[in-house]
Amino acid sequence: MTQKRTDWRDYDWQLIRGAPVPVEMNHALDEVLVRRVGAGKRPPTFRFWDRQGPEIVLGRFQSVRNEVQIENCEADGIRINRRITGGGAMFVEPENAVTYSIYAPPELVKGMGFADSYQYLDEWVIEGLRSLGIDAWYEPINDITSSGGKIGGAAQARRHGAVLHHATMAYDMASTAIPRYLRVGQEKLSDKGVTSADKRVGPLRLQTQMDRLDIIEHLIETFRQRHGLQDGQLTEDEVAEAEELVRTRFGTEEWRYLLP
Amino acid sequence: MHHGEYKTVGGKLVIADFSVQDGQLCDVSISGDFFLEPAEALQEINDGLNGMPTSATQDELAGAILDRLSPDVEMIGFSPEAVAIAVRRGIDES
Repeated sequence: MTQKRTDWRDYDWQLIRGAPVPVEMNHALDEVLVRRVGAGKRPPTFRFWDRQGPEIVLGRFQSVRNEVQIENCEADGIRINRRITGGGAMFVEPENAVTYSIYAPPELVKGMGFADSYQYLDEWVIEGLRSLGIDAWYEPINDITSSGGKIGGAAQARRHGAVLHHATMAYDMASTAIPRYLRVGQEKLSDKGVTSADKRVGPLRLQTQMDRLDIIEHLIETFRQRHGLQDGQLTEDEVAEAEELVRTRFGTEEWRYLLP
Repeated sequence: MHHGEYKTVGGKLVIADFSVQDGQLCDVSISGDFFLEPAEALQEINDGLNGMPTSATQDELAGAILDRLSPDVEMIGFSPEAVAIAVRRGIDES
């Protein structure tokens, strides 16, 4: 018998408000939590991230040398991390970004194409941003954008019987010019002639004048009202598993330089 | 080392880095900001291209990738053709 697509309300969504952790730990937690949800060991989960420091985050399929100004990152103590999802490189500072992850059962997006599932899993965030007065919409495949400029991007991976969907939005302008850390080549710019207006960055602070934590609270409440949400936390076991994964995978040079 | 880039219509960048030995591609590494499920299929793409002659056309390169890919692989934001264009550029422009 084929299983039907489920609805958000068919699950008891659990919220994790992450404490600031070493940057590699967030990527390890994504892996642990998608495993746990896939194995039915924890309910579908919604996590907001916090970080102890700045980081470069590469997409799973990006090469370090092609994307990163490695010497400048080393000189400034910027960690280079690789996430388990595809997509593009980012320079992220704790106070200038809003990042969340959704760990969902695959039945929630059953039968949907990838592009549709990105939009579907972020409908709540578009609603949340609009109710803050931001003229926001989804730009397929994975961009969250607005008339005031691009806000952020999402990435997905299907792993271990669950869907990981995470997104990072700009809260404020980066403190350092991004080209100091990331390479921006001519080919990357080649499609920006027509769409350049959409590619401006429209950070949330500029568009709302709100405090970063107030925006996060507002987004959590939007999710809660739309989909239902109970407060939860990481178990000791999950934290231990993630710490082990930092040691064996996410903190290693092999993983960072998986594509040199 | 040869290096070629191609930006897809949807905006994803596909990058090809490889060497050439005896007129054949080797040590091919495809990278970029695309999505691929499962992630391990990246090796199948690289393997499909390794050993291809530098005289291969774009269609032949794309075909070599398709031949190697498992049927359940999903390329999101790029395609065998996009990879083939990046490789051709790496051959022609180096």
